Amino acid sequence: MEKREFPGLRETVYTETLPNGLRIRVVPKQGFSKMYAFFATNFGSVDTSFVLDGKEYTSPDGVAHYLEHKMFDTREGNALQLLSRTGASPNAFTSYNVTAYYFSCTDFFEENLRTLLSFVSEGYFTHESVEKERGIIAQEIKMYEDNPGSRVDENLFRAMYLNHPVRVPIAGTVESIQAITPQVLYDCHRAFYDPSNMVLCVAGDVDPQRVIEIAREVLPKEPGGVSGRNYGPQEPDFVKQHEISEEMDVSMPMFAIGFKCPSIPEGQERLRHVLMGDLAAEVLCGESSALYQRLYEEGVIDSGFSVGYGAIKGLAVMSMSGDSDDPHRVLSAILEEAQRIVREGVDEGLLRRLVRSALGRRIRGLDSFDGLCYQLALSEFDGYDYFAFQQIYESVTAEDIRQLIAREVVSEQAVLSVIYPRKGEE
Amino acid sequence: MNKQRIELLPGVFLTVLHTDKFKTNCLSLNLLRPLCREEASLNALLPDVLLRGCKMCPDMGAISRWLDERYGAGAQALARKMGEVQAIGFFLDYIDEDFVQSEEHLTEDICRILGSFLMEPVTENGVFRRDYVESERANLINAIMSQINDKRTYAMTRLRETMFEGENFGVSKYGKREDVESITPESLYAHYRRVLETSRIEIIFTGKTDVERLCGYLLAALKDLPRGELTPVSTTAGRIPDHVREAVDSMDLTQAQLTMGFRTGITGKSEDYPAMLLMNGIFGGGINSKLFMNVREKLSLCYYASSGMDRFKGIMLVSSGVDMDKLETAREEILRQLEACRRGEITEEELESTRSYLQSALKTNEDSPYNMDEFWLGQQVGGFTYTPSELSEKLGLVTLEQIQRMACNVTLDTIYILKGGAGNGEA
Repeated sequence: MEKREFPGLRETVYTETLPNGLRIRVVPKQGFSKMYAFFATNFGSVDTSFVLDGKEYTSPDGVAHYLEHKMFDTREGNALQLLSRTGASPNAFTSYNVTAYYFSCTDFFEENLRTLLSFVSEGYFTHESVEKERGIIAQEIKMYEDNPGSRVDENLFRAMYLNHPVRVPIAGTVESIQAITPQVLYDCHRAFYDPSNMVLCVAGDVDPQRVIEIAREVLPKEPGGVSGRNYGPQEPDFVKQHEISEEMDVSMPMFAIGFKCPSIPEGQERLRHVLMGDLAAEVLCGESSALYQRLYEEGVIDSGFSVGYGAIKGLAVMSMSGDSDDPHRVLSAILEEAQRIVREGVDEGLLRRLVRSALGRRIRGLDSFDGLCYQLALSEFDGYDYFAFQQIYESVTAEDIRQLIAREVVSEQAVLSVIYPRKGEE
Repeated sequence: MNKQRIELLPGVFLTVLHTDKFKTNCLSLNLLRPLCREEASLNALLPDVLLRGCKMCPDMGAISRWLDERYGAGAQALARKMGEVQAIGFFLDYIDEDFVQSEEHLTEDICRILGSFLMEPVTENGVFRRDYVESERANLINAIMSQINDKRTYAMTRLRETMFEGENFGVSKYGKREDVESITPESLYAHYRRVLETSRIEIIFTGKTDVERLCGYLLAALKDLPRGELTPVSTTAGRIPDHVREAVDSMDLTQAQLTMGFRTGITGKSEDYPAMLLMNGIFGGGINSKLFMNVREKLSLCYYASSGMDRFKGIMLVSSGVDMDKLETAREEILRQLEACRRGEITEEELESTRSYLQSALKTNEDSPYNMDEFWLGQQVGGFTYTPSELSEKLGLVTLEQIQRMACNVTLDTIYILKGGAGNGEA
């Protein structure tokens, strides 16, 4: 077990890698009642095509999410109920790149940790239980289909990528999930729920040594699992289509603008790239930018407007979303502002303030156990050290940001996704 | 955590929740107004306009720069509804001073800007700037209209409107569109002066500070606050219905929203409140609840079905998303589960797991400054005297008979359904 201290952040992290390949990260938090364990696999909705024991597999869309639902079934009953019996609050989520299971509790932490590790590491799927779940998941998919916020983002990806499986919604479709059987789930579980493909992160007033001992006892001893993944042909720089829209019951047009960055660097450079991408989005049209204020004062956007930069496996997108009566105007204003910045350079004072603000917000974010454990898990899967954010922020220059904007915020790589109100309504 | 309550000025109360475990400090200032149609829109709009500019920072750009310099401090306008009280004001959060240079005094700065937002708005011709009022008015109208975007929340809002038609609690925390439209810089400014003078103010600080210094900063920030006779605010449990009301709206949806409102008559003030909380938890509060286990897990009728308790108003609301053709089945099943509670068909495991879940939630409430702010403001607004640990202790004593009695107390008031099939919906 290695102890790493970050006095500037008032945090200590204990790290260990077990012989089976499982990476463990424990962040002790004194004074909190809550203890939190987050057990994640590097397996998301995009991982539908893979190699296991030399054999190629292609599974139906939505399988990672379906599997997440079914993992809670054990021979002894439902793990959700087992955990909540002690007062713990368990839950799980599936994203494009990660599936994670977690609980928070105030008592019986060790018992709950054992339950978490054991139900996630052993699949138990019957025809009957897999069949029963189809109705629940179909309802969940319909819920997303009725949600304009989900639709606008899903459509954005559908228009942006030509090949990558990120084009498909995380939960799949009502049609695609029909092909999911117990065998499909067992195959995916064997490929991706191997300790060598997983991370366990714990935060709270806990003994790190005990966490490691319990993981050692409960989990399989030998590494195995997936040996290759296939996300289709390399994505080109250009997008599939520049615009995508549909009509739903919304009060005013809802939009998401995305700029495609086809691939980003690996390892530590990835964190640097994502942090710079965030800063670039803020410089362009974040709340402190001149453009944001102009658009806000003109009534083109409102306080719901947000910007961000996200990476999924090797892909990255700078995005801006909100409500507007004139989404095209928002897009053209952003493109014009990008050209101006590329021409004139990034304002040093603005960048310095934004760096200070971003740093403060990231440090404060460490108070959130969920956020902290998620960031730690993601950084393990992507191969960087999250706590380096402080040093990275200090080293970012105005020219770095200018170049990122010049490279990524261009009309050839832009997509505008809009949900319009239905015709005939106001 | 150490809690202190101080009357800073007549009718201005400071609650300090002192803890050094967070990297964030939070300060909220809440003006308490009676929730009613006449005021609701004015109240909702006021903090948005105040947050557009003040003497210290006259426009949005200046405010953003000021907040960025302070390590990404946040400033939000607030309009919260707690029973028949509309709590409006500001919420500021900022990094703990341990992380900044020693010559920077963030708590003092934050109190100063809070005072400037409240007391020194940018004005022209003696009233709010017209452009600020007009743009925030448009934003508020958008917020009202866009409630339709999230079908689950929208259905719950329509349920409350239907259930409390003609009662003040039925008024939305944003007010009505036509009321917002009629607001002028003059009418809003006149309301602002009245609100300053006649509102009880609750200030909540969560985090690490020297209380004496904090009081000094706040008193300096509020030195020009006019104080007159306070407008009384209170909440009541409301009447028990004599018949069940039903309302149905149609939209082009793939999934229907089935919501039900029950009156319980039990608020946070009642001796029976801990038993009612447990009853709600067992019925539909969590993943061990009867609704989750039966409506979702056993019958696969929906992705979610849950119930929630409002401690101000003493109501229990059920929300679920179901297939169009299973509406009737789901509704029968939800009521059947309530019947089971009434007959006392509650297992030892259901009772104990719900009990520990609720107790655990009360403990972890103190692990988030945001939850602490919300909880303690609620205690002051509702006039509830219990602390989380006292409530937890009382939960430990509740018996099955008490829970059964609570279930018998619950009366169905309103059913609201949002269903699909129609080409266009009605907003």
